[in-house]
Order: sequence, then C-alpha cells, then structure tokens
Amino acid sequence: MDFLIQMIASGLSVGAVYALVGLGLNLTFWTTRVLNFGQGSVLMAGAMITAVLVARGCNVFLAVALSLVVSALILWVIEFVGVRPMLRIRGSMGWVVSTLGAGIFLQGSASWLFGTQAVAFPDVLFKSSDTIELLGAYISVQYIAVFVISVVIVGLMELFLRRSTWGYGVRAVAHDRELAALMGIPVRRVVVGSFLVSGLLAGAAGVLVAQVSGTVDPNFGLHLLILSFVATVVGGMGSAVGSLVGGLTLGVIEKLVGGYVSPAAAEMVAFVLLVAVLTIRPQGLFGKADTVKV
Amino acid sequence: MSKLVDLITNTWTLAVLCVVLALAAGFVETGTVQMWSFVAINILLAQSINLLTGITGQISLGHAGFFAIGAYASALLMKGAGLPLPVSVVVAAAISAGAGYLLSIPAGRVREFYLAMMSLAFGLIVYELAREWRGLTGGVMGVRGVPSAQIGTLSLFGWVLDSAWYFRILLLSLIGTMIAFRNFVKSHYGRAFYAVHVSEIAAGTLGVSQAATKRAAYALSGGIAGLAGGFYAHLVGYLTPESFGLMRSVEILVMSIVGGLGSLTGQVLGAIVFTYLPQRLQAFSDYQFMAYGLILIFVFTLLPNGLAGLLKTRTRYSKFDQLGGIGKASPAVALTQRHSDKAASHGPLIRVEQVTMEFSGLRALSGVSLDLQPSCITALVGPNGSGKSTLVNVISGLYKPTSGRILFKGKDIGGQPSHRIAAAGITRTFQDPRNVPSFTVRENILMGANRLYVHGPLAAALNTPHAKAEEREMLGRVEALMATAGLTHHAEDIIGDLPYGIQRLAEVARALASDPELLLLDEPAAGLSEHEAERLVQLIRMAADHGVAVLVIDHHMDFLARLVNDVVVFEAGEVIYRGDMDGMRSNQAVIEAYLGKEEVSHA
Repeated sequence: MDFLIQMIASGLSVGAVYALVGLGLNLTFWTTRVLNFGQGSVLMAGAMITAVLVARGCNVFLAVALSLVVSALILWVIEFVGVRPMLRIRGSMGWVVSTLGAGIFLQGSASWLFGTQAVAFPDVLFKSSDTIELLGAYISVQYIAVFVISVVIVGLMELFLRRSTWGYGVRAVAHDRELAALMGIPVRRVVVGSFLVSGLLAGAAGVLVAQVSGTVDPNFGLHLLILSFVATVVGGMGSAVGSLVGGLTLGVIEKLVGGYVSPAAAEMVAFVLLVAVLTIRPQGLFGKADTVKV
Repeated sequence: MSKLVDLITNTWTLAVLCVVLALAAGFVETGTVQMWSFVAINILLAQSINLLTGITGQISLGHAGFFAIGAYASALLMKGAGLPLPVSVVVAAAISAGAGYLLSIPAGRVREFYLAMMSLAFGLIVYELAREWRGLTGGVMGVRGVPSAQIGTLSLFGWVLDSAWYFRILLLSLIGTMIAFRNFVKSHYGRAFYAVHVSEIAAGTLGVSQAATKRAAYALSGGIAGLAGGFYAHLVGYLTPESFGLMRSVEILVMSIVGGLGSLTGQVLGAIVFTYLPQRLQAFSDYQFMAYGLILIFVFTLLPNGLAGLLKTRTRYSKFDQLGGIGKASPAVALTQRHSDKAASHGPLIRVEQVTMEFSGLRALSGVSLDLQPSCITALVGPNGSGKSTLVNVISGLYKPTSGRILFKGKDIGGQPSHRIAAAGITRTFQDPRNVPSFTVRENILMGANRLYVHGPLAAALNTPHAKAEEREMLGRVEALMATAGLTHHAEDIIGDLPYGIQRLAEVARALASDPELLLLDEPAAGLSEHEAERLVQLIRMAADHGVAVLVIDHHMDFLARLVNDVVVFEAGEVIYRGDMDGMRSNQAVIEAYLGKEEVSHA
C-alpha cells in the first residue's frame, strides 16, 4: 500500500511535468502548426545551465532565472532559423527536420561544453531527503513541490490564454492565421511570443524534472519529449486541459508499470500508448477530429 | 556540369569503376578496403530511407532501428545457428522487412509529424530493447565474437573471407540491389509509391491503394536497411546498442537529405560524403553532432534538392530511357474499343439510385437518381454548391454515401474505397489538377495506366521481357493520347513548369490512360484557352467513340453545347432537369435556379 501511494505520488509529479512540456509544445502548435522536435534539448539546456551555474557558486534562484531566459531565447532562435523559413515547404517534413536538427545541435553543444557525463542537479526546492507522511507512506516533498508548481503554471497559463489580450491573440491566430492578420492582430508578435513562452515553459519543466531525477546529461531531453508528446496526443493536440489529464495519466501508468513490472517495461509504456492512441483515435481523447478535405 | 553527371551515371563508367574497385581491393591497405565497405553499407542505408522518405514520403527518424534488427539478427543467426553468410544476411533482411511491415500497420494510419514522432519512438524502442533484452542481445555489453572479415574469423563453406573478398561480395550485393531498386522505381510500382507521396487522395483515384503501398514501402525499406545491418555485423564483428541510437538515425537521414531525397544518384553521393568527411576532417569528427544539427537546420533552405539537385541529375520514373524510346513495334491504341451499343441488354453502365449524402446534418445530395450509358456524354450543371462535385466524389469513392445505391455494371460499388472503384474502371479528374509536379508529362500520363499493369514487383525489379513489353505497350498508349491532346512536344517537360491549361489537358489524358469505362470530369475546361479547349473536346469525343460513358461538370454552356448528348441540372442536391440543351434553356425550374424567381406582385 505504501509502495502504491509512493508510486502514484511520483507518477503524478512527473506527469504534471509532462503536461507542462506538453503545454509548451501546444503553444507553438497553436500559432504555427509546428511541433518543436528540439524541445527535449531545450529542457536539457534549462536544467544543464542551472546545474552548471550552481556548481560554479551562482545563487540558485539567479541560476534558474538565467536558464529560463536562455531557454526562451533558444526557442526564439529556433523560430527564426528553423521554423519561419520552413513554412513555405509543403507538409511537415521541412520543420520536423530543422527542429530536430536544432535539438541535435543543442545536444552536441552541451556534450562539447560540459561533457557527456551526467551532472548532479542541486536541491533548488527542499532537500531530496525531506519527506512527509501521507496515508502512512513517506513521500518526498520535492515530488509534491514539483507537482504543485507544474499544476499552478499550467493553470495560470490556461487563465492567461483565456483572459489576457495576448491569449486572445494566440487563440485567434490558432483559429485562422490569415483572418487574424486581417483583423489587425500582430501575428508575427503573437507567434514570436508563443515561442518565447514555450521556451520559458520548457526551461521550467527541465529544472523541475531534473530536481526529481537528481542528475542531468546531454541526452536527457529526448525521452521526455516523446513522453510529453504522448501525453499531449492522449489529451488531444490543441487542448490544454487534455494535456494535463494525459500527462497525469501517463505519469501514473508509467510509474506503476515501472514499480510492479520492470523499469524496462515502463520504457515501453509510452510507445505502446502512443501507437495505441494514434491508431485508435488519432485526434486524441479530447481533441476534435480533423475533417479530410478533398 | 551535365557532362560530368552523364559520365558518373553512365552504366559503362560505373561498371568499369566497380571492376577497378573490386580488383584494387586486393592491393590496397585493409583500412582502405574497410572504408569502401562502410561506403557500400551507407549507400544501402541511404537508399533504404530514400525509398521510404524520399519516394513514398513517409518520414523516418528511427531508421537505425531497422539497421539494428538486421545487424543483430544476422550476427545471432551466424553465431548461434551457424548459418552461412548469404543465408544469415538474407534472413536478417527478411526479419527486418517483417519489422517494417508490422510498423506500417500503426504508421500507415498517421501522417506528417505524428508519423515522425512514431518513427522516432520506433528507433528509440529498438535501441532500448537492444540494451535491456540481455538474454538475446547481451545488453549494453553487446554481442562479441561475431564472425568477421576484419579479424579473419568469417568463412564461407570453409573458405576464409578476408576484407578484400568481403568487400567484393558486398559490392556485388550492392550492385544487385541498386539495379533491382532502379528498375523497381522506374516501374508502375515506383510511380505508385510517388503518387502516395504527392497526394493520397489522387493516388486512390488512380487505383493505387495507399495502405498497401505504404506497407510495401515499409517492408522494402526495412529489408534494405536490414541487409545493410547484416553486412555491417560481419564487417565489424562486434555489436553494441550505442551503434544504433538516435545519432545513427540522424546520420542516415543527413546522408539521404544532403544527397537529395528522391534521387538514386544523390544517395550514393550523400553516403560517400558522410562516410569520408568524419575520416578526413578531424574538426568534423570532433563536432560531428553539432555539424549534423546545423546541416539538418539549414539543408532545406540552402540545398533544397540536395547534391543531386546541385548536379541537376534527376531520377526518372518510367522505363522510357531503358527501352530506348517506345520503338516502332507498338501500334498506337489509346483506348480499347468497347461496345457502343446503347441499347445493351444489361441496362445502363452506371445507375445512381436515391443517393443521399449528408455532412453532419448538411445535406449535399438528397435522393439523386441518375443513369449513364456507354458512349454517351452527359453534362452535369448547376449553381455553385448544388452538389455536382459531391456526386463525383461519391461515385469515385472519396465519400461514402449516407444512403442509396450506386450500381456499376449491376454491382453495388457505393462506399467502396476509391482505389477499388478506380480499378473497376471509373476514372475521374479534379477541379484543381492533381498531377505529380516533378514528373514529366509522359510520366504523369503513364501514371494513369497504373490499373492496367499485370506484372508483379519481382518482374518489375528484374526487368523481365514481360515487364518491358507491358511498359512499352503502355508508353505506346501514352504516346497516342499525347498526340490527340497535342502534348507530344511537351512529353519530356516537367509538368509543374508548364502553363495551367497544359496541366489540365495532361490530367484528362492521364485519366484516359487508365482506359476507363466511365470518365468523370470535374470542370475540365476551366482556365483553358480556345485552342486547348478544342483539344479537350477531341479527347472527350475520342473517349465517347470508344464506348466510354462521360460525365462532365462545367459552367461553360458553349463548350458543353458542342460536346454533350444530354444534360443533368442540379439544384440544392436534387436533379431538377434531365434532357437536351435546348430544353434546358427554356425550362422554368432551371431558369429559376440560376436567375432566381421573378417577383410578380405589383406592390
């Protein structure tokens, strides 16, 4: 029973991070119909920069703030060199390849700058040994903090998208890019804004997930990207609430399978879910079906 | 530049080069021969991803997965079961092809970036399996002691293979694969693969099943990558999961894209460049991943068609060149002469019965009934949104009717997939031309004949006399059609570069190349010049003379008046008139549909 609760708690914790990454993926998807295949490396960059700066004696909060800024700038550059020139190529091949390339480049740069070994991640929130007792099980406070912070960010973003002027802009551009431009919405600024915020979310998610995993290495993002994509697809591309439900579900299933079957089987969960959802219901559980136009 | 390309793609030059390499392998250093072997393996890998991504348009970010399956399978089969090299490599390729076939089942259902993500996950899962399935793969420690040419432990029926002989065997396999692959790509299969790439909907209306085509592409691509994997295993003699991670997939993708997606020559160039570059250029090797990343970011902007595009080499998708033209042997029969006896005992060719089509409550067709006779040209007119194109979409199988029956030669075809309807002899064109822009006019029209081919994939790959004869016959048909359409002097032009009217004419010619029994034309005359419209009339008349039933949607009454026997008028998804042109002009319901009702009250 203790074990079950611990597994569910850690599942909810990582699941919330998947939702956070998924929201970042969704933001750029809404405004440009582009899914950033390099997002995993942005997570890695956020976590890596924090870890390295703290190791060099930088203040923890300053380090986190700096890494968030860098993450946002990385996405801005990706938009500029990898997304905008590719939108005139028919289909998704162009930007899939260029954003994947951006991710590979970041990964290569990190290996070159910091080496390929895992770097210990500092305790930003509480200590890894801090636990509280819940229903008789000891749960790490870090898990709870990561869960709460992720859910709060997702909630705030949802509120921001629904209430703020910029949020209206994002939704208008998502609905119809040309119509939005004709209505006087500064589409370019909305698009760049969505990439900057997506970068912030990725950086934050990177720091949070590294806090739970304890280390960070250059290869650390790819798996998260696929898991977050699965969460987003399970929830339906384009639905923020869907991402959260999808992320939490995936996180819990993954940890339960990992705990009760084997860690290797947990690796398979994401793939099986991805294939199953895409095969049975490509639009996700919360998304709307794309109508095929002849 | 073009001379250089001619030289390097000339069969004799290549044959001499291969013989020289095979002979030289015995005299140069072992390291050099091994590099050559790596080049050959990389060419196979690049061709494999080119087949799937470049030709069939299914992006693959996890191609190392197939490579890994082939490598482990061959290594374990030889080490464990003691199979000789040819058997283990071929079985490994078959296993990898099987994996490709299985992957195509979920992958065939998704497109675009969903597919990209699925392929990425596939590569990752194979890598994880290689790491975790210790009993089979040895986990992270890998498989050691695979019989290998490099350390002289590989033998074939008691004959020890050294690096030179291994390279010769590999070279021979590569040449065989390349020749078969080239022949295959130039057959109707290659054109079908490309059709799925450009438009799955248009491919269906040519009689190409997109699901079956994708399954074949995944299986073949997996097989070729598996073959490369098998040869790799016995070259290096030692496998670890780290050789098959994401970076290997990226490397394969880089070779293929930089070489030029869709071009066979380009793949060879890409493989050579990216095998030698890390060896020769220390800086490239140090910053390899950063370099690959940068290449992927900028390649489509700076080098959209790869090295092949730079050298202006193109892969052609018909055997026209190989056959040395069509020759004199083929009598120019464009269409089969069918019975034009209108009072045939079987009744109409097609009978549409009470067909209703609803789109989530919106009724586009309500209870349409319609007969079409062989040899008869029927116009379908009506205001915009009256359901004309919807009817064509329903008949050609793009929409499944909500209710009603469509009897083609007495059999209900309503709701069948479009490729099956096309294969039965119903061909259509679209409002906007759906040609393959990068194909020549000849290749585009030849694509129309797809449903008529009977030779199988093996015959296509081996260029058997039967396959050649069939291709020649179809090329003869195409020639005759081009003559009627006035397109002969455009035969070798890339269709995407030609004026709109020519593209439309070519599309109608393509539809006729399928030798249809029923031809559905959706606004064929829109955007055509006077001269081109005349050519179109000739094409349609020729079809009717040969017994084809033709249904033409158009708005030009003058154009229709000199062409059709019969007019059907649609209004709000219902037939409001059927008869001749003159009757239509004086029909009250038709006038109201077009011009509205005259207000009679005097207020």
